[in-house]
Amino acid sequence: MIKLEERKASIKPIKSKLKISILDDQEISQINQNTRTVLEEIGVVFPSDKALKIFAEVGANVDFEKQTVKIAADLLDKYLATSPRNYTMAGARPDLDVHVGDGKGTYFYCSGESPRVVDFSTGERRLSVKEDIANHARIADYLPIISLMWPSASASDKGETSPLHGLEACFTNSEKHVESESVMDEVSARYAVEMAIAVSGSEEKLRERPVLSQLLCCIQPLAQDRGGIEAAMIFAEYGIPVGFMSMPTLGLTAPPYPAGALTIAMAETLSGIMLTQIINPGVGNYISVNPGIVDPRTGAYFMGSAVAQMTNVSGVQMAHSNGIPILACHSFGGSQYELGNWQAGYENLYSHLLGVMAGADMSFGPSGMYEAVSLLDHPRILFDREMLRVIDEITDGVDVNPKTLAFDMIKEMGHKGGYISHRETGKFYRTTWPKESILYDDGKPEGRKWRDPKDVAREAITWILENHKPEPMSESVKQELRQIVDRADKDDSIKREISGHK
Amino acid sequence: MSEEMYKKLAQAVIDGEADDAEALARQALDQGLDPLACITNGLTKGIQQVGELFASGEYYLPELIISADTMKVAMDILEPALAGGQEREVVGRVVIGTVEGDLHEIGKTLVGTMLSANGFQVTDIGVDKTAAEFIEAVKENNATIVGASALLTTTMLQQKKIIEALDEAGLKNQVKVMVGGAPVTQSYADQIGADGYAEDAISAVDIAYRLADAPA
Ligand code: B12
Repeated sequence: MIKLEERKASIKPIKSKLKISILDDQEISQINQNTRTVLEEIGVVFPSDKALKIFAEVGANVDFEKQTVKIAADLLDKYLATSPRNYTMAGARPDLDVHVGDGKGTYFYCSGESPRVVDFSTGERRLSVKEDIANHARIADYLPIISLMWPSASASDKGETSPLHGLEACFTNSEKHVESESVMDEVSARYAVEMAIAVSGSEEKLRERPVLSQLLCCIQPLAQDRGGIEAAMIFAEYGIPVGFMSMPTLGLTAPPYPAGALTIAMAETLSGIMLTQIINPGVGNYISVNPGIVDPRTGAYFMGSAVAQMTNVSGVQMAHSNGIPILACHSFGGSQYELGNWQAGYENLYSHLLGVMAGADMSFGPSGMYEAVSLLDHPRILFDREMLRVIDEITDGVDVNPKTLAFDMIKEMGHKGGYISHRETGKFYRTTWPKESILYDDGKPEGRKWRDPKDVAREAITWILENHKPEPMSESVKQELRQIVDRADKDDSIKREISGHK
Repeated sequence: MSEEMYKKLAQAVIDGEADDAEALARQALDQGLDPLACITNGLTKGIQQVGELFASGEYYLPELIISADTMKVAMDILEPALAGGQEREVVGRVVIGTVEGDLHEIGKTLVGTMLSANGFQVTDIGVDKTAAEFIEAVKENNATIVGASALLTTTMLQQKKIIEALDEAGLKNQVKVMVGGAPVTQSYADQIGADGYAEDAISAVDIAYRLADAPA
């Protein structure tokens, strides 16, 4: 069983001693070159006049009619140069701050925006509501492996302002850094900024230690979302970090080859980063490359596949070669496969492991998601955490020193064996045997029987939901957040922004 | 001679050879063959076989799509040549698209492709389409089925808008509406008054058949 105790939130990255690199230097520079040629000759669609004007002002080649921006390599590189390799994504307290790129290892996200959940009490699948987000935020707050979070589900009970309700549920139920993946229009973005200022205390403090960030998906191939990019422009203006994610589907929205898909992904994400750097030089950015493939027999969308996985991990080197941090891990920590399925387990394990070993700054991981990030099941987060526990151990590598070479021990025991009775062995097991695990539960006193990890996980989640109280946010800030979201609920212009912009 | 032409047309669809299909379609018209028979006994036979090959796992999605595109190239030549009053037999006329504010296109395209391969006449209006654009397409194509896709919690509300707009335009009795996408469930579909919901493209075809049979 994992240790269940009343405690304050904390965060813990995983640092890997083991390193992998997929691409060699020449391959990296070929993809970088190809990306720059694509940006120069084909360009990226930015369906926003505001964005187009900004690009035109700095000398990019803008076609206002086709809403396309073509960017010369030296112009791109000039703006990439101000995008920081290190910056802070802040929590409510400095010890919860994530210092991106600080070399302390990979920080983990609890990802989200699941449209559906498995109801914790009844087990039925249903549309997710705001309360699910609040509950999952408390679970994420409790688990140190989670450093940053998205609203884990969508508030289908709140309609168009679901993204803002999601932020409210996270801010009021956790002290960790919150990122929005669903604020996709300028008006909502302004409300989100207001919320972040309320949480930080002032605009100045927000700029210094941003408690909010945004993830924006580019639209494959080679385009941006109108509302999303206009929201990103607002966030960047306030110093709120903006991550750009590309999700090339190999052979559908991108070439079927990893190198071509990476080219598409880099062109999309780097063009977005350039825009935010023009607006606010030095604002934090990151890249995320999440490729998929289609099952060619049914058309089903797959995130967990060897080829897509390799493409994803190659993204780490591509981002770093451009001086940009990366959020890795294939599939947002959510396998394609169904609840409790064996395949879901192995896919998640290798995707997490590769991301950490490739040296990703951040990674998706312990989320509790299934079915290609469309189903949230609270207890499942402890299975994700379990994999990361193992990965933490594996990536420590093997210690080789006089003590571990153990010549004296070998000599002492000679040919008779029986190392189990050696004092050193006792010490070793004490530190190595996983105590904090749902797999090796030592059972109840009545019988040391193996227990189904599903039951153990359920028990732990029940305990967390009943007992974990995140450090309370001041009543006045809570009230302020409530009022902001309430105002947004009554603001018809959000509806017009999301639908009705035509 | 016509038999041979039908076979060739069918084969061009099966092989996904658009250039051949185009040339054959023109040749057929030059030879004075009946365009409707060319469609029914040639192209449709071909696409039906493609559907079977796909169902059995022999063909993959790219082949299915290439064949559907090939069929369309020949159809665009033959259909305008149909004599007045002549109409090719279709199971139903579908207008499919993704709702306003939503750019997810993979799912709806797949559903559209599967429906075409199963004998429906499909007009794919694309992504980010307003209720008004759906209505316009319904009128233009004299559609019998509307398919609306939504992948976001914030945009699924547009599916309801489309149903209301159809009602307002007095079209609700003429068309059946089916909905789908990640946040959509059967109960949501019922709640907004949709006639059908499908979780994936295969069941979307079943639902569409059911809706096509249903009295309008
Ligand atoms: C790929 C993807 C993207 C791609 C889309 C690429 C493209 N050109 O289409 C990109 C990267 C562009 C993207 C962008 C965004 N996405 Co997205 N995306 C996905 C993902 C991972 C897969 C969708 C997909 O293509 N599936 C494969 C197809 C085959 O399946 P399908 O669409 O479900 O369709 C099947 C069925 O649903 C059904 N069906 C679908 N439509 C219809 C219609 C009818 C009539 C019928 C009968 C059946 C039917 O049949 C289909 C075939 O089997 C989903 C997660 C998921 N599992 O759905 C998230 C997801 C939908 N996206 C999400 C989000 C938040 C976004 C963004 C807002 C992210 C951002 N911050 O930018 C943007 C929004 C852009 C916009 N304005 O629309 C969330 C939605 C959360 C919510 N509850 O609202 C999801 C659920 C992921 C998550 N948990 O975060 N996304």
